[in-house]
Amino acid sequence: MVEKRKLASGLTTIQKTFVRSRNGGCMKIVREHYLRSDIPCYSQACNHCITNLKPDAQGNLPLLVLLDLPLKLKNGGQHYVVVDTNVVLQAIDLLENTECFYDVVVPQIVLEEVKNRSFPIYQRLRALVKAADKRFVVFHNEFHEETYITREKDESINDRNDRAVNRCAQWYNEHLAKYSSTKNPIKVILVCNDRNNRKRAIAEGIDARSLEDYIESLPNGDMLRDLIPTENESFEKNAAEIAYPEYYSTSRTMAGIKNGTLYQGVFNTSTYNILEGSVLTPAFKKPLLIVGTKNLNRAFNGDLVIVELLPKDKWREPSTTILEESSIGANDNADDNSQEDLVSDKERRMLALEAVKATIHQGEKKLQPTARVVSITRRSWRFYVGQIASSSVDNETSNASQTCFVILMDKVLPKIRIKTRKAKELLGQRIVVSVDAWPSNSKYPQGHFVRSLGAIETEGAEREALLIEHDVEYRPFSKAVLDCLPKEGENWKVPENLDNGDEQLKKRVDLRDKLVCSIDPPNCQDIDDALHAKPLPNGHYEVGVHIADVTHFVKPNTALDSEGASRGTSVYLVDKRIDMLPMLLGTNLCSLNPYVERFAFSVIWELDENAEIVDVKFMKSIIKSREAFSYEQAQLRIEDGSQNDELTQSIRILLKLSKKLKQKRMDAGALNLSSPEVKVHMDSETSDPGEVEVKKLLETNSLVEEFMLLANISVARKIYDAYPQTAMLRRHAAPPSTNFEALNEILRVRKPGMSISIESSKALADSLDRCVDPNDEYFNTLIRIMSTRCMMAAEYFSSSSYGYPDFRHYGLAVDIYTHFTSPIRRYCDVVAHRQLAGAIGYEMLDSQHRDKHKMELIVRNINKRHRNAQFAGRASIEYYVGQVMKNNESTQEGYVMKSFNNGIVVLVPKFGVEGMIKLEMLGDANSAAYDEEKYELSFTDFKGVSRTVGIFDKVQVAVKSVQDEVSGKRKVQLVLV
Amino acid sequence: MSRLELYSPEGLRVDGRRWNELRRFDCKINTHPAFDGSSYVEQGNSKVICMVRGPMEPPMRSQVNQTQAVIEMNLNIASFSTLQRRKRSKNDKRMIEMKTTLERTFEQSVMSHLYPRTLIEVNVQVLAQDGAVLATMTNAITLALIDAGVAMYDYVSAVSVGIHDQTPLLDLNVLEENDMSCLTIGVVGKSEKLAMLLLEDKMPLDKLENALAVAIAGGHRIRDLMDDEVRSHGNQRVSKLTS
Repeated sequence: MVEKRKLASGLTTIQKTFVRSRNGGCMKIVREHYLRSDIPCYSQACNHCITNLKPDAQGNLPLLVLLDLPLKLKNGGQHYVVVDTNVVLQAIDLLENTECFYDVVVPQIVLEEVKNRSFPIYQRLRALVKAADKRFVVFHNEFHEETYITREKDESINDRNDRAVNRCAQWYNEHLAKYSSTKNPIKVILVCNDRNNRKRAIAEGIDARSLEDYIESLPNGDMLRDLIPTENESFEKNAAEIAYPEYYSTSRTMAGIKNGTLYQGVFNTSTYNILEGSVLTPAFKKPLLIVGTKNLNRAFNGDLVIVELLPKDKWREPSTTILEESSIGANDNADDNSQEDLVSDKERRMLALEAVKATIHQGEKKLQPTARVVSITRRSWRFYVGQIASSSVDNETSNASQTCFVILMDKVLPKIRIKTRKAKELLGQRIVVSVDAWPSNSKYPQGHFVRSLGAIETEGAEREALLIEHDVEYRPFSKAVLDCLPKEGENWKVPENLDNGDEQLKKRVDLRDKLVCSIDPPNCQDIDDALHAKPLPNGHYEVGVHIADVTHFVKPNTALDSEGASRGTSVYLVDKRIDMLPMLLGTNLCSLNPYVERFAFSVIWELDENAEIVDVKFMKSIIKSREAFSYEQAQLRIEDGSQNDELTQSIRILLKLSKKLKQKRMDAGALNLSSPEVKVHMDSETSDPGEVEVKKLLETNSLVEEFMLLANISVARKIYDAYPQTAMLRRHAAPPSTNFEALNEILRVRKPGMSISIESSKALADSLDRCVDPNDEYFNTLIRIMSTRCMMAAEYFSSSSYGYPDFRHYGLAVDIYTHFTSPIRRYCDVVAHRQLAGAIGYEMLDSQHRDKHKMELIVRNINKRHRNAQFAGRASIEYYVGQVMKNNESTQEGYVMKSFNNGIVVLVPKFGVEGMIKLEMLGDANSAAYDEEKYELSFTDFKGVSRTVGIFDKVQVAVKSVQDEVSGKRKVQLVLV
Repeated sequence: MSRLELYSPEGLRVDGRRWNELRRFDCKINTHPAFDGSSYVEQGNSKVICMVRGPMEPPMRSQVNQTQAVIEMNLNIASFSTLQRRKRSKNDKRMIEMKTTLERTFEQSVMSHLYPRTLIEVNVQVLAQDGAVLATMTNAITLALIDAGVAMYDYVSAVSVGIHDQTPLLDLNVLEENDMSCLTIGVVGKSEKLAMLLLEDKMPLDKLENALAVAIAGGHRIRDLMDDEVRSHGNQRVSKLTS
């Protein structure tokens, strides 16, 4: 029943009626739906739509995106593409590829279907439309008078939508033929992978092609052919038996979760054993253990899965064995799908070993419940970087496509089966693949090749691989983003006339007369903080921290802002920095470079002799830095008694106060934890990595740090005061006692008399200080490193998420904290700047930072980005340390950090590297025995000497750099000497 | 969070309108000749009937005001007017708030000093709700009062407006109303005077002016549509008299 009515304003209205069932009952929903005639076709070749454009609320007219000279096919036909839902869902990578798919029309109905099926793909599609460089447009066919179609009687909703897509392609053909300004009207090709729909479309006179046919008909089709994602059938070889258990149906899992027999949680593969993983569910305190291929049931690391508990007789303790993907199933044939056995012999042996152990030890206390995966709610699939396993490539076959394995860089993931014609060329290259499916009758997931990054071990390829693996956005900034920068570019200056009618400029405080200087690491380009100090007549000190005023340039709701928000942080690799904001801002306009005037956001305290805060003021300001010191330079200047100018004096004041601040912090129980941080020196000429050095800390390092902490704390209090619901803060939760159980247990056995208490951060700090081995200086640091790993990660949050007592920063021992001091490289600081500006009445705070939900989204993203950036940075160091070792193999001191029944983990402090030594490398595997009580592994080494090593033992290891044959990753290998 | 694309980057709303477009506005007056004045208004799928009795002698002495007319509002929201059936009592807080808002709006728009010691009884019946119910009721009452021949300073035409990110959206339907803060205003005639302004949640101050401008323009458009109906109805009655 459809009633159409024409309105005076040129709209036609109809009623959309549908039935929705909820909780068993059903509801009839009637919605209005307006059809209009002013939706443009977005083609520059059309001379009709340009007369019929309507502006939006900001008065901007829509841009005509589709070129009047679109790409040509092989046979020369100019065309636009209309895509169907199934193509978008299957081949979004191909749509994003810069070699094909230009001038694409996405019908609204396709966009909606995509959104319902997969929200991430929808977002990628929307991003494509927004970026405009690939000329994608969304055509709102459902709102267009001529393309809206009504559902017919007995027609399924899918058929109706297919028909709507066809109608849309047809309309484009007619429309372009009628109004085209070019001689030969542009053709429209419907790309659709549904055979039946294609047939119908062709009958209606539309040029409909399957994705494969379309790619084939492009001039560069040969190149692109391999990128077409696999459809499920393409791997099929009558695989008769089902290997993996089928997943439960949605209704069954929903019911199971509701009545508490099934549990949902995120699956994490164990770092040391790929046949073991755990799922942390809210229902249990301890994670559920999942062991064995069948129980893992095709779950990937990071998937959201639903699990079912196994009977109690199958409960067991986590294995103490190291197991990597490379060691099992290395001989599998990529083509051979109908393997007789899912569980390999090797895996069986491992299981048997475990079983023997389980029967001997009745260590009830360590027993952990086990479970099996019965369904996967959300896959964590993304792009993966890996390389083709050489053993799976058949060198005989010429150019026909063949199936081969891709071994991923991420050790905890299985290899992926892909089909490619270029297997031989791709050997020895880092390639990006994407996973398409993992059917139950395939031992390995199926995927397709996306692109090659270059040969393994070349700097560019490795860097890109690392960035992709850690999901870091590294592409150059888009034009839309760069357009948000000031027009003056490099020549931007602080206006000379401060009274030029700009209301905000008037509110800035002129601090150019203060003796401001900055202290940073050498060669620092993005200087985001500067300091000054001066004695006051009343014996107190005035101390100012000046932070680059990034928010003056990054206004909310601009492309620049959303890009910064999505990147979240700058990423520092050994040889490269991936900026959060464009270079112009980071290293020039915002950076508080010496001798030039800059806008800043200043925090100015009045501190008394004991560094207690008497008063604090916040202001937007104009400053002129007198000098940019490196830490060493500043240190030298302080120590040089002959320098007594005002600037040096003020640094000395700062140093004096910072020591007091630090002492106060330590007294309050701030932790001094340790992680082995190293720095790689690069040869300045060849930019080859030269040597590795553990970072040194100078007094001036902590000078800057103390004042930054003080600024962050003061700002946190202020913005929490002004915006109690949405203040951007940072917290660090106290570690749960269970985290330290294992470490304390080890300490009890290995170092009697030592323990770590965790009642408070003060107690922890004190007990750490007590853990000293007089014979071994490094032991204390080692304990600190191991404790750091037991701590919780600090996180950003918006103040509505927790109660005030939970705001506490455990590590710094303060009740409230935020990040304010590095807005050039962290987005949290940008938000904090805006909130502080709002709190002091400088400008209105944008609504997105006053909205709990929006803040929640921002916080979640920056937490993720922050973590990824840290991992990427560490991975980069690891890679370069490996490169350095290539030339400097040596024997070093190392410490055992972990022990397993078939290997140990050793840390080499000199290089900050940690490596696993497997039993096979230690000596005779058969003679080895592992004493679990004592955390000791005894074995006979290759010389026939029997040895015993346990946790905390100091050992001599030979450090070598080897390339892992399977994953092509170069890393440090340790060998016990 | 809702994953509905409430305002697409192409500038279209969930139901296909642009930011400054009203929904379908249908109105009729004199629908219930048994009353002194009556009207029926549809704004999109929100449907309201209004019936007015009076000015008349109040049945109770307590209702008598020596200097001006007393306006009595009776609101009734049908239980079937929402998606899920829900009975609303007369003492529901929201109902009372709407009632007071309407009473205050019309006390200053009707020339009540012309009718001392009388009662004007306004009965409003909401048949279907699809957003902007208060605005629809206001428009229905205006029309019914005009039909009843009660002297007013000018039309009171009401419309709602919401803010989605940066864009003001005119005349929200129920999907939009659930997702953003919205403001209902009643514009007096073709002026920029407001007889009513109701904001139930927060709206950023810097966006308010913009939103008001859009809403006032929408109000003027509704006034014109109501004026057309009143005039055509008037002409019809005149032609009946003369023939």
